[in-house]
Amino acid sequence: MVLNNVVFFTFWWVLLARVPDIRGWQLRDMQLLFGITATSYGLVVAFAGGVRELGRFIDEGALDTLLTQPKPTLLYAAGLHSRASGFGDVASGACFIIASGYVGWANAPVVGLAVAAGAVTFLGAGILFFSLPFWLSRSETVSRQAWELILTFALYPEPLFGGAMRLLLFTLLPAGIVSYLPVDMVRHPSVAGVLMTLAAAAMYLALAVWTFKRGLTRYASGSRFVVFG
Amino acid sequence: MRTLVKYGAFARIGVKLAVTERGELYGRMLFFVIILGVFSALWRAVAEAGLPVAVEPATLVWYLAATEWIVLSPAPAHVEIESEIRRGDVACQLVRPFSYVAATTAQGLGRLAVRAPVLAMVASGGAFAVTGRLPSGDAVVLVVPFGIAAMLAIHGLYVVTGLTAFWLGDSSPLFWIWQKLLFILGGLMLPLSIYPGWMQRLAAYTPFPYLLARPAGFVMASDAGGAWDLAWHLAAWTLTIALIAHAVFARAVKSLHLNGG
Repeated sequence: MVLNNVVFFTFWWVLLARVPDIRGWQLRDMQLLFGITATSYGLVVAFAGGVRELGRFIDEGALDTLLTQPKPTLLYAAGLHSRASGFGDVASGACFIIASGYVGWANAPVVGLAVAAGAVTFLGAGILFFSLPFWLSRSETVSRQAWELILTFALYPEPLFGGAMRLLLFTLLPAGIVSYLPVDMVRHPSVAGVLMTLAAAAMYLALAVWTFKRGLTRYASGSRFVVFG
Repeated sequence: MRTLVKYGAFARIGVKLAVTERGELYGRMLFFVIILGVFSALWRAVAEAGLPVAVEPATLVWYLAATEWIVLSPAPAHVEIESEIRRGDVACQLVRPFSYVAATTAQGLGRLAVRAPVLAMVASGGAFAVTGRLPSGDAVVLVVPFGIAAMLAIHGLYVVTGLTAFWLGDSSPLFWIWQKLLFILGGLMLPLSIYPGWMQRLAAYTPFPYLLARPAGFVMASDAGGAWDLAWHLAAWTLTIALIAHAVFARAVKSLHLNGG
């Protein structure tokens, strides 16, 4: 993942060396965007990687074992898997953030909150998309592609998108909440900006948890014997 | 003649596999359309500050449509080869009267016969939708055959990568390395002329520009003289990749025999 992030960033490094400013975005802004997105995504796949498997659990009726556990089902399912690539994303993301020059001792907590907001939204979107199989069977591929689309859009500067696309990126495909709002929070810090970003992330996660709980009421057991761990 | 019939059967299997693997192809089609839309917006934004090359934003979108078409059309054959090696299925293939490498290549050709036309339609439809422009007929005449030739070479790279599973077990790290080199040194998203001089010189020593930037570059300037040079380089690199595939497989078979496999 480190290699992946570095290679993709080469595109911006080459382009912005020739065109230093694209609608107010410079190389350091792109470094911050990459940093926050990669760190947020990395935190989710490293510590809640099971969210990517939710769709499969639901489709195959493999949630039975988790439902009998005393712990919250969603929390348990999300924490079931951890991907090593997530740690690579966190490491490369941190390097990008530091290289951007936006982070200092004074605003480190704001950067931390920005990353947290991105991670919470990524997690929320994952729960929301991978809960789709509760209503639509064999839709795991669609869920996975929708989740990866967030990542695709999150890695491009916000001013590229306008109109209906912008609306989409702040609602259904929340790339705007994952990266644009957190980046703006660091570039132009304000109490209102911080509160709005955190509230948007929290609302997205709350919506996702509510959707998952609604979906659980429709869940049909697979009567399968599954061993986790 | 019998050889043609034999490998033709493998190509037909490839066609059928491509038809059954529709989910993956739909995913690539969706990704293709989205990435063209994003880059169309990007090049319009860059044009406001002044494009770093003497072409219009629409031309750069068509360039990306061509490079992505070449990259997305070949199926990732290394995954299947690696899996056959891991399961030991490859040992069963060795006693059959055909070359494993040639059969895999024929199957890849069959898959390409389905995927390349479908993705070409998505590429041209998507690029036309976001730019409202079409490339010149001369450019299309050059991009299509050179693009298909480049896809064959990329399929060869997949085969070589898959065969390394005989020693590596997991061929993914090797795949990631050459894929990233292909993206950067091949000029997937940016024409190589935008790159710093040292990167352009470095790229010229690798096969990657001949697989992406040069075939797609005809969209920006249709140059028949450059076509001969590209044909020569593509043929040389494809032959090199084919020889490497055969050498790697021969070495692998030898070690299997030594181990009594």
